[in-house]
Amino acid sequence: MGLLQGASELFPVSSLGHAVLIPSLLHWTFKQSDPSFVPFLVLLHLGTASALLLIYRDQWLQIIRGFFTAAIRGQIKSDSERLAMLLLVGTIPAGILGVYLEHALKNLFAYPKAAAGFLLVNGFLMLGAEVLRRRAERKAAVEGRARVEQEERFGAAEHISFRAAALVGACQALALLPGISRSGVTIGGGLLAGLRHQEAARFSFLLATPIIGAAGLIEVPLLFSSNVPVGEYLGGAMLAFVAAYVSARFLLRYFRSGRLDPYGWYCAAAGLASLVLLTFRP
Amino acid sequence: MRGTSLAAGLVVLAVVFLVVAGLYAFGVLQIFVTDPHSSHHYTHMVLFIALAVASLVAANFARPKKV
Repeated sequence: MGLLQGASELFPVSSLGHAVLIPSLLHWTFKQSDPSFVPFLVLLHLGTASALLLIYRDQWLQIIRGFFTAAIRGQIKSDSERLAMLLLVGTIPAGILGVYLEHALKNLFAYPKAAAGFLLVNGFLMLGAEVLRRRAERKAAVEGRARVEQEERFGAAEHISFRAAALVGACQALALLPGISRSGVTIGGGLLAGLRHQEAARFSFLLATPIIGAAGLIEVPLLFSSNVPVGEYLGGAMLAFVAAYVSARFLLRYFRSGRLDPYGWYCAAAGLASLVLLTFRP
Repeated sequence: MRGTSLAAGLVVLAVVFLVVAGLYAFGVLQIFVTDPHSSHHYTHMVLFIALAVASLVAANFARPKKV
């Protein structure tokens, strides 16, 4: 589960959807409706967030410093200050919905068919984002050029508008549903906001850290108050860390010229196949 | 002038968020909570404190600056 979560959290294929679907499809013994399931998932997410913190450690230091400097001064004067404020705006929608819909969302984890349906929707959302991106490329008259050259026409994360950051944040809130990929919809949102693929992935990875950290602070203490094998769970978190580190390094290289399409088609196919298997299996 | 009134509005909003955070912390407010029998709702409290801080930061951005 740790390896699966770490890899699928950053690959735009919905870690939560896979964490709900795969145990159901493979008849693994733990119950998704068990009270320790969500804290366990959050512990795995903390492993993933630690890998992202390690990769972006220098940027995070600048972002934190930039946040306090800009907040006290009341003015943005550098790229890291602007990025800090964009991340604040992008984190608010998922923070509000996560707290207010916590109970309803936890109930959804007990319904693998819902996760399969959302995974299918996730696939179409990513494919839709790429269709709109290709239209933007046609408008920018970069069709037919090398992919790296095409990407250079689009912007960096620090230069999107606050409205666009709120849009990406709203996309992140959608990913509270099991089956909707957080990285998939935020990268898709970033593309709509005019970011390069690699920059959309960087903004998505940076946006992941505060919300996962906050969820960890809330949920992980529950693990230690219930009767669960904490040692095994921590082992899972370590594996999630390793898988996330390798995945993030791969994806940042991939998105220099790669697109969301293969992941979109995978999610649509996996969602449809899971729906069929869950409906017709004995 | 517009900057001043926007900043003032955001400060008022921050105060409202802080009051709501306090009401959740002491269990007075029970709207959209997972366990209505619990006397404290610290998650909601933390959310509203964060929103209050964000409003104060926004107010500081909105206030007119000396050139």
